[in-house]
Amino acid sequence: MQKLFDIPRDLMTEEELMQPGGLSCQGCGATLAMKLALKGLGERTVVVIPACCWTIIIGTYPHCTLQVPVIHVPFETAAVAASGIRAAFDVRGEKDVVVMAWAGDGGTFDIGLQALSGAAERNEDILYVCYDNEAYMNTGIQRSSATPPGAWTTTTPPGAIKEEPKKDIVKIMLAHGTPYVATASVAYPDDLVAKFRNVRRIKGTKFIHLLSPCPPGWRIDSSQSVKVARMATQANVFPIYEIENGGYTVNVVPEKKLPVKDYMEAQGRFRMISKEMLNAVQDRVDRRWEQLLENSAAP
Amino acid sequence: MNSKRRSEPAQKHELRSWYDYPPMNVSLGNMLHNKTGAWRFIKPIYEDKVPACQNACPAGNDIEGWIKLLQKGEYEEAYWHLKREQPFPSILGRVCFSFCQTACNRSPLDECVGIRELERFIGDQVAPSLAHPNLPGYHGKSLAVVGSGPAGMSAAYYARLLGFHVTIFEALPVMGGILRVGIPGYRLPREIVETEFHRLKNMGIELRPNTGVGASVTIDEIRNTYDYLFLATGVHASRRLGLEGKDESHRVMSGLAMLKKVALGEKVDLGQKIAVIGGGNTAIDAARTAFRLGCRVTIIYRRSENEMPAHPEEVREALEEGVQLRTLAAPARIELDDDGTIRRLVCCEMELGPPDESGRRRPIKKEGALFDVEADCILTGIGEIPILHYLNNMATIENGVIPVDEGLKVYTKGSGKARIFAGGDIIPIPHTVVHAVASGKKAAIAMDCDRKGTDYSDVLEEIALGDGTAISFSLYMGWDPVNPVTQNNRIVVDSEKIVYDYFGKEPRVRQEIQEANIRKRSFESHTRTFTADEAQQEAGRCMHCGRCIECDNCLIFCPDMSVQVKGEEQFGYAFDYDYCKGCGICFTECPRYAITMVDEETSVEGDNFQLSTE
Amino acid sequence: MRQVIKGNHAVSHGVRLSRVKVISAYPITPQTTIVEQLSEMCASGELEAKFIKVESEHSAMAAVVGSASAGVRSFTATSSHGLLLMHEVLHWTAGARLPIVLANVNRAVGPGWNIWADQTDSLSQRDTGWIQFYCESNQEVLDSVIMGYRLAEKVMLPVMLSYDAFFLSHTSEIVDVPDIEQVDEFLPPYEPEFRLDVNKPRMFGGMVGPDCYYEERYVMFRDALKVLDIYPQVCEQFHAVFGREYDVVEEYRTEEAEIILVTAGTITSVSRIAVDRARGEGKKVGLMKLRLFRPLPIERWQKVLGNAAKVVVIDRDLCAGLGGVFASEIRSALYPLTNRPVLFSFIAGLGGRDVTPEDVEGMINYAAANEEPETMPLFWGLKGDQGGNHAETL
Repeated sequence: MQKLFDIPRDLMTEEELMQPGGLSCQGCGATLAMKLALKGLGERTVVVIPACCWTIIIGTYPHCTLQVPVIHVPFETAAVAASGIRAAFDVRGEKDVVVMAWAGDGGTFDIGLQALSGAAERNEDILYVCYDNEAYMNTGIQRSSATPPGAWTTTTPPGAIKEEPKKDIVKIMLAHGTPYVATASVAYPDDLVAKFRNVRRIKGTKFIHLLSPCPPGWRIDSSQSVKVARMATQANVFPIYEIENGGYTVNVVPEKKLPVKDYMEAQGRFRMISKEMLNAVQDRVDRRWEQLLENSAAP
Repeated sequence: MNSKRRSEPAQKHELRSWYDYPPMNVSLGNMLHNKTGAWRFIKPIYEDKVPACQNACPAGNDIEGWIKLLQKGEYEEAYWHLKREQPFPSILGRVCFSFCQTACNRSPLDECVGIRELERFIGDQVAPSLAHPNLPGYHGKSLAVVGSGPAGMSAAYYARLLGFHVTIFEALPVMGGILRVGIPGYRLPREIVETEFHRLKNMGIELRPNTGVGASVTIDEIRNTYDYLFLATGVHASRRLGLEGKDESHRVMSGLAMLKKVALGEKVDLGQKIAVIGGGNTAIDAARTAFRLGCRVTIIYRRSENEMPAHPEEVREALEEGVQLRTLAAPARIELDDDGTIRRLVCCEMELGPPDESGRRRPIKKEGALFDVEADCILTGIGEIPILHYLNNMATIENGVIPVDEGLKVYTKGSGKARIFAGGDIIPIPHTVVHAVASGKKAAIAMDCDRKGTDYSDVLEEIALGDGTAISFSLYMGWDPVNPVTQNNRIVVDSEKIVYDYFGKEPRVRQEIQEANIRKRSFESHTRTFTADEAQQEAGRCMHCGRCIECDNCLIFCPDMSVQVKGEEQFGYAFDYDYCKGCGICFTECPRYAITMVDEETSVEGDNFQLSTE
Repeated sequence: MRQVIKGNHAVSHGVRLSRVKVISAYPITPQTTIVEQLSEMCASGELEAKFIKVESEHSAMAAVVGSASAGVRSFTATSSHGLLLMHEVLHWTAGARLPIVLANVNRAVGPGWNIWADQTDSLSQRDTGWIQFYCESNQEVLDSVIMGYRLAEKVMLPVMLSYDAFFLSHTSEIVDVPDIEQVDEFLPPYEPEFRLDVNKPRMFGGMVGPDCYYEERYVMFRDALKVLDIYPQVCEQFHAVFGREYDVVEEYRTEEAEIILVTAGTITSVSRIAVDRARGEGKKVGLMKLRLFRPLPIERWQKVLGNAAKVVVIDRDLCAGLGGVFASEIRSALYPLTNRPVLFSFIAGLGGRDVTPEDVEGMINYAAANEEPETMPLFWGLKGDQGGNHAETL
């Protein structure tokens, strides 16, 4: 039989917290991510959105595609605005409401990192989700510190392709002692939904790094978003795992190991990558995967 | 639609004047007024297609359809569904070449689905006495089927469903042709064949064994008595060895002739040691039958083992049982005594030269490499040919077979009442049971078109399946498919279109086969039918290529909430074209290619079964 | 109850009495003791509030944007560079129509680092849309916190109250600290019409196109002007409960004044002395204390200053390329009058330099002695060729 996703039909057909009519590009990974996240979270959720693609996707004033309370905040401030909202909801006695910061990679890895670090250090009881399309996509595909090496962006054009490795945001969060750090991907929707459902039982800062392919930015056809996300995990470029209080669990072990080359060849943005850089990436990916397996095997 | 949408209906809040504005920047409603469907230039439609297995089957067997019914536990429904395209599951479930399995898209993943075993299971589930539902009346036209082999049986069956009065003429005392007298009982028990004729008789088809055309009755007689004739006399003569000198005697016989004698219960005198010449199924059947009669058997084949045309399983089982195989050898000379016993069988070693027209390498005699083979009897299985003298010059014959047009109509000479069609091994099609069955079905439809005065070529356009020669009786009759979904009967779903990431390996359920030691002396069937559990497990491996199974992938992956579940009692989904942006993710993530992306201009109707523009 | 407390402590009391529920703050001299005292109050339970110890001032303001949007009374305090760092979010807070009260200790802006009194910091934020008050005494500071919430929550605009570094923040004065029950009479709980609510989901701050933005800002502008009507009502109510009055301006001995001083902050106290001395000498000199700065109380200023012959504005701030901000704003407020007073713009006290009654007297005398209006500011007490008490002109 087909490996069906463990998502009950009822959950997919119940009242929608995300409605159509939004302004995302065709095939947007971030839109699919929000749809699935809300399926796990439910209606007692507040969404905090800094400047990012979702600022636009959500619709123009005075309309909104989400049926949960949403607040737009300045670019750098997702984590701390969420902290303020958390304090207010606690004051009002609504401690079960999940306050979720939903930020892009720019607003997390770069400009939002300070506020995120502050919130994590205070172990604020918020959920911080970085939906990572690996560049400043909303402003037209400029590189961020989440852009992987070898990728084309408008600020890493041919001749100046990005060389620096992608910041390891998971390690950064772990350095803060964050009680729950996880990765998730739109290609593994049941894992994603389960993780979002699960956050309610964890107190303190929860961080989810979510891979969100972007067709225009990654130079893929709109129909390939989920497939490319899956390839990222199959190539161990984006492993799916979670760390709760230091204990590692690898959630998805790919049945077949895809060469990083195959993953990159499926996207136009990696067309300029040199052989040396590709080998270096494959190396790094392999070592990190081995380390991850070791960590998850440890008692 | 039963997917609910919360809150108010679509409404664009116009802020016409500054005093319409709320006191702060706060939303007033949803974005449903923004019909993003306007962005599309291509759109998805739910469209079932032809799986690779059905496409490969000469009869166009809707395998996926009856497997789906099997999985639901609806064995009887599965049986009748199967019968729409192939009337004899218990037979084909035992002897079919299984082109379907060769084409099965599961092979790149682990192993093909055991479709033949499943077909056997379905065929065996149903009681012989079960009446055929919805039998039509008669329109008054009559059909004489000449020959009761698989082609004739099939033509009779479908012609009856099309309202013809059908009579099957058979020269032998038993009905079934090659099924009854060519294929040995351990492969196809005679009771199975008899049961099928039981069923045909219960449908109102007249059976006339012991009535050979050209013997008991002439071709001209039936030509003038019946409105339609279907010639299906098969291949019951064998090619001669064609060696120098005398090569015929009572001890040099065709394998087919021997099998026929055994099948009719007649005694055969074979001696102790048998040499079987040939590498096809007839040779193997003859060899294994002779072995079961107590002889020591050696098969002599002129090419290598890999190139033997027989089923590899058959070859393997024969060898397991103790049949010897000598490849790259061919008879050179037979020395006979006056009374016909074999004094010497001289063979020559062969080697493989360049390929011949069949693509296989030509065997060439090795100079001076002669050797003797001890043999009391030689059975030939080097090719079967039709016996057509009964036709009395009524039809053109080319290369020993009857040429026919695309509707299997014979190019007749002379005059007579009947329209004449032909099928099975006497027309230029591959010599397999399923090809014969397919030809009978095709002929029945062509005869019906002729009766109604419609052009068969036009009809063929509408009932053709996939990219091969198969046609669909269901389409001809306008019967509903299992899924109430738009059908595209031309697009074939091969392995490139399957998303293997969604399937895990599962071992094939092995059909139990008796040990060689036990089976080698028995004419009983040495395989048993699946149990219901085994059938469910094996059916569970079917990937349902090209056919929606409501797996929910499209529902889960649509970023624009534009896949809606149809509802409680209804099957499948509908796209919300108001909002669908045509991104194509549903198409890519459908594991089985049951969605098609079509041009935005294509009109799409809800549940009608219409062909898309392909 | 009357206590001797420093200005920063007055703020803390004001916050406690206003039953603020969420506080966020980042330390900067000379605001730090506000934060420290509030921490103690929260820790002891004297104040039931969540205190978010953020990692920067930008975050401090963003945190209360969050909490205020969720319908909870929120507060933060800062000074100088902290205020400047908040700048983006100050615009955001006002645009989001959130009734936050911010206490700003007026401190000079670097480089070079200078921690003493200077009003450039808050004045450089005058375009952000915040209501701005300037306080002269610790009592006024405490009262302004409480009044600030009442006003802010009525018009849904944030309130910034500013007061001088060290002169007020770290100087003890007698302050009547009211009972919380009294304050409860005056300041009802905060229950906004729109807030983040899982039972009534809405989106705040959504993207606005050219077809909508203009009117949004126009509405905000109109609402800001409403302050001029609503604030006097708030004052009346405050007076009724506490017996103290705080008009948008305070006129001191302006009857038939020929010269009127305009000051904000502690220079006002110093100037009162100079005015008394001048009146003692028979000079017709008065003082307009500037309390509300945004929205601009144009009519009031015109009324108070219009009939004077000369106006002397003392700016404890300097905008390069413009001069004194108060002076520039007063000039534009008086512009529509057919008979405009001559305006003397003095710069004094930058970076915490003391301004004495003698300095103010000197300025009055300068104005008295000169008839021609100056276009450039007069830099009082600048170290130059002449010593001390003089106005350096350009």
